Amino acid sequence: MIAAAAASLSPETLVLATSALLFALGVTGLLVRRNPIAVLMSVELMLNAGNLLLVLGARVHDRAGGVSAALLVLVLGAAEAVVGLALALAYYRTHPNADVDSRGEVRG
Amino acid sequence: MNDRFFALLVPCVIAVVSAASMLITRRLVRCAALLLVHSLSIAAAYFMLSADFLAMGQVIVYSGAIVVLFLFVVLLLPDGGREVPVPRSRALVGLIAGTSMLLAIGMAMRSVLAAAEPPAPPTADLSVLAIARELFGSQLVPFELTALLLLIAIIGAVTLWHRGERGEAA
Repeated sequence: MIAAAAASLSPETLVLATSALLFALGVTGLLVRRNPIAVLMSVELMLNAGNLLLVLGARVHDRAGGVSAALLVLVLGAAEAVVGLALALAYYRTHPNADVDSRGEVRG
Repeated sequence: MNDRFFALLVPCVIAVVSAASMLITRRLVRCAALLLVHSLSIAAAYFMLSADFLAMGQVIVYSGAIVVLFLFVVLLLPDGGREVPVPRSRALVGLIAGTSMLLAIGMAMRSVLAAAEPPAPPTADLSVLAIARELFGSQLVPFELTALLLLIAIIGAVTLWHRGERGEAA
Protein backbone atom coordinates (compact mmCIF):
# COMPACT_ATOMS: atom_id res chain seq x y z
CA MET A 1 0.00 0.00 0.00
CA ILE A 2 2.83 2.35 0.84
CA ALA A 3 4.50 1.53 -2.48
CA ALA A 4 1.25 2.22 -4.33
CA ALA A 5 0.85 5.51 -2.50
CA ALA A 6 4.43 6.44 -3.30
CA ALA A 7 3.94 5.58 -6.98
CA SER A 8 0.96 7.93 -7.19
CA LEU A 9 2.93 10.74 -5.58
CA SER A 10 4.04 13.46 -7.89
CA PRO A 11 6.41 16.25 -6.87
CA GLU A 12 3.38 18.55 -6.82
CA THR A 13 1.53 16.34 -4.34
CA LEU A 14 4.64 16.20 -2.17
CA VAL A 15 4.88 19.97 -2.00
CA LEU A 16 1.14 20.24 -1.31
CA ALA A 17 1.47 17.78 1.57
CA THR A 18 4.52 19.59 2.93
CA SER A 19 2.71 22.90 2.83
CA ALA A 20 -0.33 21.49 4.63
CA LEU A 21 1.88 19.86 7.27
CA LEU A 22 3.87 23.05 7.85
CA PHE A 23 0.70 25.09 8.21
CA ALA A 24 -0.74 22.61 10.71
CA LEU A 25 2.53 22.65 12.65
CA GLY A 26 2.40 26.43 12.71
CA VAL A 27 -1.16 26.41 14.04
CA THR A 28 -0.17 23.89 16.71
CA GLY A 29 2.77 26.03 17.74
CA LEU A 30 0.59 29.11 17.86
CA LEU A 31 -1.76 27.37 20.27
CA VAL A 32 0.74 25.48 22.38
CA ARG A 33 3.65 27.84 22.93
CA ARG A 34 3.36 30.46 25.64
CA ASN A 35 6.40 32.51 24.84
CA PRO A 36 5.52 35.46 22.59
CA ILE A 37 8.66 35.02 20.49
CA ALA A 38 8.00 31.32 19.95
CA VAL A 39 4.47 32.26 18.89
CA LEU A 40 5.92 34.68 16.34
CA MET A 41 8.15 31.92 15.01
CA SER A 42 5.08 29.73 14.55
CA VAL A 43 3.47 32.50 12.54
CA GLU A 44 6.57 32.55 10.36
CA LEU A 45 6.10 28.82 9.78
CA MET A 46 2.57 29.43 8.59
CA LEU A 47 3.70 32.21 6.26
CA ASN A 48 6.32 29.88 4.80
CA ALA A 49 3.69 27.21 4.21
CA GLY A 50 1.51 29.69 2.32
CA ASN A 51 4.48 30.88 0.30
CA LEU A 52 5.37 27.34 -0.69
CA LEU A 53 1.84 26.87 -1.98
CA LEU A 54 2.05 30.11 -3.98
CA VAL A 55 5.28 29.02 -5.62
CA LEU A 56 3.80 25.61 -6.43
CA GLY A 57 0.81 27.31 -8.05
CA ALA A 58 3.12 29.50 -10.11
CA ARG A 59 5.03 26.45 -11.19
CA VAL A 60 2.00 24.33 -12.09
CA HIS A 61 0.16 27.08 -13.96
CA ASP A 62 3.30 28.58 -15.45
CA ARG A 63 2.43 32.02 -14.21
CA ALA A 64 5.02 34.20 -12.57
CA GLY A 65 2.29 35.97 -10.60
CA GLY A 66 2.55 33.41 -7.80
CA VAL A 67 6.24 34.02 -7.34
CA SER A 68 5.83 37.79 -7.23
CA ALA A 69 2.99 37.38 -4.72
CA ALA A 70 5.31 35.19 -2.65
CA LEU A 71 7.84 38.04 -2.70
CA LEU A 72 5.17 40.36 -1.30
CA VAL A 73 4.42 37.79 1.42
CA LEU A 74 8.13 37.75 2.25
CA VAL A 75 8.03 41.51 2.84
CA LEU A 76 4.87 41.07 4.90
CA GLY A 77 6.63 38.45 7.04
CA ALA A 78 9.54 40.82 7.65
CA ALA A 79 7.23 43.68 8.68
CA GLU A 80 5.25 41.38 10.96
CA ALA A 81 8.40 40.06 12.60
CA VAL A 82 9.71 43.57 13.26
CA VAL A 83 6.52 44.83 14.88
CA GLY A 84 5.93 41.58 16.78
CA LEU A 85 9.45 41.46 18.14
CA ALA A 86 9.32 45.10 19.22
CA LEU A 87 6.06 44.40 21.02
CA ALA A 88 7.51 41.28 22.65
CA LEU A 89 10.64 43.14 23.77
CA ALA A 90 8.63 46.01 25.22
CA TYR A 91 6.48 43.47 27.06
CA TYR A 92 9.52 41.58 28.34
CA ARG A 93 10.84 44.76 29.98
CA THR A 94 8.03 44.85 32.46
CA HIS A 95 7.33 41.11 32.59
CA PRO A 96 10.50 38.99 32.73
CA ASN A 97 8.43 35.81 32.50
CA ALA A 98 6.27 36.79 29.58
CA ASP A 99 3.34 34.51 28.92
CA VAL A 100 0.87 35.16 26.14
CA ASP A 101 -1.88 33.74 28.34
CA SER A 102 -1.45 36.14 31.21
CA ARG A 103 -3.97 38.90 31.53
CA GLY A 104 -3.60 41.39 28.75
CA GLU A 105 -2.25 44.83 29.46
CA VAL A 106 -2.03 45.95 25.88
CA ARG A 107 -3.95 49.13 25.41
CA GLY A 108 -4.31 51.73 22.68
CA MET B 1 8.67 8.90 -9.11
CA ASN B 2 11.62 10.53 -10.71
CA ASP B 3 14.68 12.52 -9.87
CA ARG B 4 12.71 15.68 -9.33
CA PHE B 5 10.62 13.96 -6.69
CA PHE B 6 13.66 12.94 -4.68
CA ALA B 7 15.30 16.32 -5.19
CA LEU B 8 12.21 17.88 -3.62
CA LEU B 9 11.78 15.19 -0.97
CA VAL B 10 15.00 16.10 0.87
CA PRO B 11 14.24 19.82 1.48
CA CYS B 12 10.59 19.05 2.23
CA VAL B 13 11.48 16.45 4.87
CA ILE B 14 14.08 18.74 6.44
CA ALA B 15 11.57 21.62 6.51
CA VAL B 16 8.91 19.52 8.23
CA VAL B 17 11.30 17.91 10.71
CA SER B 18 12.88 21.23 11.70
CA ALA B 19 9.43 22.81 12.06
CA ALA B 20 8.27 19.92 14.25
CA SER B 21 11.34 20.14 16.47
CA MET B 22 10.73 23.87 16.82
CA LEU B 23 7.51 23.01 18.61
CA ILE B 24 9.24 20.66 21.02
CA THR B 25 12.34 22.68 21.84
CA ARG B 26 12.00 24.76 24.96
CA ARG B 27 15.07 26.93 24.49
CA LEU B 28 14.50 29.89 22.22
CA VAL B 29 18.04 29.97 20.85
CA ARG B 30 17.63 26.44 19.51
CA CYS B 31 14.24 27.42 18.20
CA ALA B 32 15.80 30.27 16.21
CA ALA B 33 18.55 27.99 14.90
CA LEU B 34 15.92 25.49 13.77
CA LEU B 35 14.02 28.33 12.08
CA LEU B 36 17.23 29.04 10.16
CA VAL B 37 17.47 25.40 9.03
CA HIS B 38 13.79 25.50 8.11
CA SER B 39 14.04 28.66 6.03
CA LEU B 40 17.15 27.39 4.21
CA SER B 41 15.41 24.14 3.32
CA ILE B 42 12.38 26.10 2.10
CA ALA B 43 14.76 28.11 -0.07
CA ALA B 44 16.12 24.83 -1.45
CA ALA B 45 12.56 23.73 -2.24
CA TYR B 46 11.94 27.01 -4.09
CA PHE B 47 15.11 26.36 -6.03
CA MET B 48 13.88 22.88 -7.00
CA LEU B 49 10.59 24.45 -8.08
CA SER B 50 12.68 26.64 -10.41
CA ALA B 51 11.85 29.83 -8.53
CA ASP B 52 15.51 30.83 -8.28
CA PHE B 53 14.93 34.49 -7.61
CA LEU B 54 12.59 33.80 -4.73
CA ALA B 55 15.07 31.25 -3.34
CA MET B 56 17.69 33.99 -3.25
CA GLY B 57 15.20 36.37 -1.68
CA GLN B 58 14.36 33.76 0.94
CA VAL B 59 18.00 33.26 1.85
CA ILE B 60 18.74 36.99 2.01
CA VAL B 61 15.54 38.30 3.62
CA TYR B 62 14.50 35.33 5.70
CA SER B 63 17.66 33.57 6.75
CA GLY B 64 19.73 36.71 6.61
CA ALA B 65 17.47 39.30 8.15
CA ILE B 66 14.47 37.81 9.94
CA VAL B 67 16.19 34.87 11.64
CA VAL B 68 19.10 37.07 12.69
CA LEU B 69 16.58 39.55 14.09
CA PHE B 70 14.99 36.72 16.08
CA LEU B 71 18.41 35.63 17.36
CA PHE B 72 19.24 39.20 18.31
CA VAL B 73 16.01 39.60 20.27
CA VAL B 74 16.56 36.28 22.04
CA LEU B 75 20.00 37.57 22.97
CA LEU B 76 18.48 40.69 24.53
CA LEU B 77 16.00 38.78 26.66
CA PRO B 78 16.55 38.09 30.33
CA ASP B 79 17.88 34.52 30.68
CA GLY B 80 17.32 33.76 27.03
CA GLY B 81 13.56 33.99 27.18
CA ARG B 82 12.70 31.18 29.54
CA GLU B 83 9.31 29.73 28.77
CA VAL B 84 6.68 28.92 31.34
CA PRO B 85 6.20 25.13 31.27
CA VAL B 86 3.39 24.02 29.04
CA PRO B 87 0.79 21.89 30.81
CA ARG B 88 0.02 18.51 29.27
CA SER B 89 -3.63 19.34 28.66
CA ARG B 90 -2.66 22.40 26.65
CA ALA B 91 -0.25 20.40 24.50
CA LEU B 92 -2.99 17.85 23.90
CA VAL B 93 -5.50 20.52 22.88
CA GLY B 94 -2.93 22.07 20.54
CA LEU B 95 -2.18 18.68 19.03
CA ILE B 96 -5.86 17.96 18.44
CA ALA B 97 -6.38 21.39 16.89
CA GLY B 98 -3.34 20.96 14.66
CA THR B 99 -4.43 17.50 13.53
CA SER B 100 -7.94 18.67 12.71
CA MET B 101 -6.44 21.62 10.83
CA LEU B 102 -4.30 19.20 8.84
CA LEU B 103 -7.32 17.01 8.11
CA ALA B 104 -9.38 20.00 6.98
CA ILE B 105 -6.62 21.24 4.67
CA GLY B 106 -6.08 17.72 3.35
CA MET B 107 -9.78 17.28 2.54
CA ALA B 108 -9.92 20.66 0.81
CA MET B 109 -6.79 19.85 -1.18
CA ARG B 110 -8.15 16.45 -2.17
CA SER B 111 -11.33 17.90 -3.56
CA VAL B 112 -9.35 20.53 -5.46
CA LEU B 113 -6.91 17.93 -6.77
CA ALA B 114 -9.75 15.69 -7.93
CA ALA B 115 -11.27 18.55 -9.90
CA ALA B 116 -8.01 19.81 -11.37
CA GLU B 117 -6.69 18.70 -14.72
CA PRO B 118 -3.23 17.17 -14.71
CA PRO B 119 -0.58 19.90 -14.71
CA ALA B 120 0.88 20.90 -18.02
CA PRO B 121 4.56 20.14 -18.49
CA PRO B 122 6.26 23.18 -17.01
CA THR B 123 8.00 25.50 -19.37
CA ALA B 124 9.36 27.28 -16.30
CA ASP B 125 8.99 30.88 -17.28
CA LEU B 126 9.64 32.05 -13.75
CA SER B 127 12.58 34.22 -14.71
CA VAL B 128 13.31 37.53 -13.03
CA LEU B 129 11.92 39.26 -16.11
CA ALA B 130 8.59 37.43 -15.86
CA ILE B 131 8.38 38.15 -12.11
CA ALA B 132 9.14 41.84 -12.70
CA ARG B 133 6.43 42.02 -15.37
CA GLU B 134 3.88 40.74 -12.86
CA LEU B 135 5.19 42.84 -10.00
CA PHE B 136 5.20 46.11 -11.93
CA GLY B 137 2.17 45.21 -14.01
CA SER B 138 -0.86 43.58 -12.47
CA GLN B 139 0.52 43.70 -8.92
CA LEU B 140 1.75 47.28 -8.98
CA VAL B 141 -0.67 48.55 -6.33
CA PRO B 142 0.15 45.82 -3.75
CA PHE B 143 3.82 46.32 -4.53
CA GLU B 144 3.62 50.05 -3.86
CA LEU B 145 1.61 49.39 -0.72
CA THR B 146 4.45 47.25 0.68
CA ALA B 147 6.53 50.43 0.85
CA LEU B 148 3.84 51.99 3.03
CA LEU B 149 3.63 48.78 5.08
CA LEU B 150 7.37 48.79 5.76
CA LEU B 151 7.26 52.45 6.75
CA ILE B 152 4.41 51.77 9.17
CA ALA B 153 6.30 48.77 10.56
CA ILE B 154 9.41 50.87 11.19
CA ILE B 155 7.44 53.65 12.88
CA GLY B 156 5.47 51.09 14.89
CA ALA B 157 8.61 49.31 16.09
CA VAL B 158 10.27 52.56 17.14
CA THR B 159 7.13 53.79 18.91
CA LEU B 160 6.67 50.54 20.81
CA TRP B 161 10.30 50.58 21.85
CA HIS B 162 10.06 54.16 23.13
CA ARG B 163 6.96 53.44 25.10
CA GLY B 164 8.77 50.54 26.73
CA GLU B 165 11.74 52.81 27.52
CA ARG B 166 9.54 55.24 29.41
CA GLY B 167 8.58 52.34 31.65
CA GLU B 168 5.00 52.10 30.47
CA ALA B 169 3.44 48.75 29.83
CA ALA B 170 3.32 48.44 26.07
